[in-house]
Amino acid sequence: MVRSDGCCDANRDGKPGDTVIRAEHLSKIFGPNPSSALELLEQGQRKDAIRESTGHVVGVDDVSFRLKRGEFFVIMGLSGSGKSTLLRCLNRLIPPTAGRVVLETDEGEIDVGAASARQLRDIRTRHLTMVFQRFGLLPHRSVRDNVAYGLEIQGIDRGQRIERADRALDLVGLGGWGPSRTSELSGGMQQRVGLARALATEAEVMLMDEPFSALDPLIKMQMQREMIKLQSELGKTIVFITHDLDEALRLGDRIAIMEDGRVVQLGTPERILTSPSTAYVADFVEHADPTNVITARTVSVELDHDRVDELRREAGGRVIVHRTQSDVEIVIDDDDRVREVRADGGRAELVPIDTLLAEEAPTSRYRDRAAVVRADRPLRTLLEARNLCNLPVLVIDHDERLIGLVTEREIIYSIIEKRGRDALNGDSAEVAA
Amino acid sequence: MNVWLSDAIFDPIRIPLDSWFANAINWLTINYRPTFQAMKVPIEVILGNVETFLQWLPPIVFIVLLALFAWRVAGWKIAVFSALAFTLVGMIGLWSLTMTTLSMVVASVLVCMVMGIPLGILAARSDRFRAILRPVLDVMQTTPSFVYLVPVVMLFSIGTVAGVIATIIFALPPLIRLTDLGIRQVSTDVIEAAEAFGSSEREILVKVRLPLALPTIMAGINQTIMLSLSMVVIAALIGAGGLGRPVVEGLNALRVGVAGIGGLAIVLLAIVLDRITQALGEGRRTSTES
Repeated sequence: MVRSDGCCDANRDGKPGDTVIRAEHLSKIFGPNPSSALELLEQGQRKDAIRESTGHVVGVDDVSFRLKRGEFFVIMGLSGSGKSTLLRCLNRLIPPTAGRVVLETDEGEIDVGAASARQLRDIRTRHLTMVFQRFGLLPHRSVRDNVAYGLEIQGIDRGQRIERADRALDLVGLGGWGPSRTSELSGGMQQRVGLARALATEAEVMLMDEPFSALDPLIKMQMQREMIKLQSELGKTIVFITHDLDEALRLGDRIAIMEDGRVVQLGTPERILTSPSTAYVADFVEHADPTNVITARTVSVELDHDRVDELRREAGGRVIVHRTQSDVEIVIDDDDRVREVRADGGRAELVPIDTLLAEEAPTSRYRDRAAVVRADRPLRTLLEARNLCNLPVLVIDHDERLIGLVTEREIIYSIIEKRGRDALNGDSAEVAA
Repeated sequence: MNVWLSDAIFDPIRIPLDSWFANAINWLTINYRPTFQAMKVPIEVILGNVETFLQWLPPIVFIVLLALFAWRVAGWKIAVFSALAFTLVGMIGLWSLTMTTLSMVVASVLVCMVMGIPLGILAARSDRFRAILRPVLDVMQTTPSFVYLVPVVMLFSIGTVAGVIATIIFALPPLIRLTDLGIRQVSTDVIEAAEAFGSSEREILVKVRLPLALPTIMAGINQTIMLSLSMVVIAALIGAGGLGRPVVEGLNALRVGVAGIGGLAIVLLAIVLDRITQALGEGRRTSTES
């Protein structure tokens, strides 16, 4: 088991300055005598065994990670996996039994666990704000007064409160709804109020506890899109809890997967999908939609650079990298840039995928145009490209160097296996002088 | 007869609880009567002022103000009913007694609110306090009021104030219970959210718990008003004024007519107060939830 996966990841990624929160060996045990159960936990006993022998419930079991400034960090797990408890340990709504949460602010480090009542209040009003699954709005207040709640607690005067609340409402698309009652709003709109309430405090970190789980699927998708947009505009650091893998894959820069209170894998969505570290994670990702997660880089059959260099020495200059299909030749120059694509005896035009997508779809697939796709685009884009052009898709990096090719074979393989070239490497690409 | 089969079996272990009770009350009366008399003062002040005002207010002004208020909070139907009910009360010659009864109700409800809401808040916050309070409230609600009339008279002497005190004993429990219930019913989601935004315990109470418990607390006040009215006749037995008087007189002298109109006035007053306070509670509920 990858007990310390999260910890190692954290150490590798953590550069001083880009960390906002350090969670260090957090554990939470519910019950009358948590410290006795903690000893068992440290001796390596598992959640179920501890519940049977002592009646204590292990919420969180030795979790460590570093939250990077501006990242979208998703904690995913089934109900009872401890994800909500972990989130609440961060702002001490639930005090952890062991371990530390350290906040790195401009004014220095703050140990959340050691904070006085006053400091804690300051942390919750200025640094960590929160959005809840069931909204947690005050029904006796107007939308605006709900949004201003955090500011009211901070003691900000009414004029400024209203101004900031209205600005936050504008951000979430509810400008003009300030005087309404929250109960006049739909679920999606109520969650926007919850979001605005969090944004109004201007705290750097937003803790979001399954914020979209109570919404219907269409509204949920819309909120996810807006969340991505908001984060890129405002640069918030977000800790986002969900039990929905597709949501996690869509939103997360990194995902921590929890089981029985422990983080069993922590990594990028693509990494989680393509190399699940445990059977539990593998089960999870089995039914996930990979088309938005796996990148063209992973799908494509990579150029065998040693072979290309060898051929270059022999042939001098241009190299034909592909000739598996009848009469398709792809020629690259010394800098790995594609010079020409020849198909059916003629020259095919190189067209960026976005240009092709903007045009009207052809009646039959092109054989005189080849789609060019950047390596960071998702599998979905490759599908679209193959749908338009019956030639291998050319995958390029940001310097426009060819890094690989994609045919149906790679696409099908990556959808079924949720893996990429590592298994197919060199299998279908032929390099010839 | 066999001793073992009759109630004589209790003779050796009989206890004179009745004289213990009597002694306890006597002892209280002898030693603490001034204290109890002093406790009457705030009630006397409230009652005196409210009654003086209501007796001074010209009936026509009272009826117009009442109708306007009822119209604002409960709609025109209740407003018309209230105006007609009080006009009828005047027409049957019971205006002054009705005002006395109304001021007794107002005084006892005010005292109940001052005591009941804080006690309800404490009960909601402490399970232990609630466990202690519950049997006390049960005793207050279930002891027949005739039982405590005698000690009330001994400690507070007879009169309208004593009547109000007996009324408070009877009408206080539901307000405490409903305040406790209302506060405990506030959803933990909302409280957690308030906590996450840095609220202190006091802020959560004032800004979250009490406003959200208000409809339930209003229901408690409504109950307190109704129970106060139901004590009007019993309070008259210990010398309280108001609409209980004609009923008790009618009972003593078998004057059906007098008792009848007294009863009618009490019922009318009860309906008007009930409808208006209910609308007050629901009005808050609709304005908070819709």
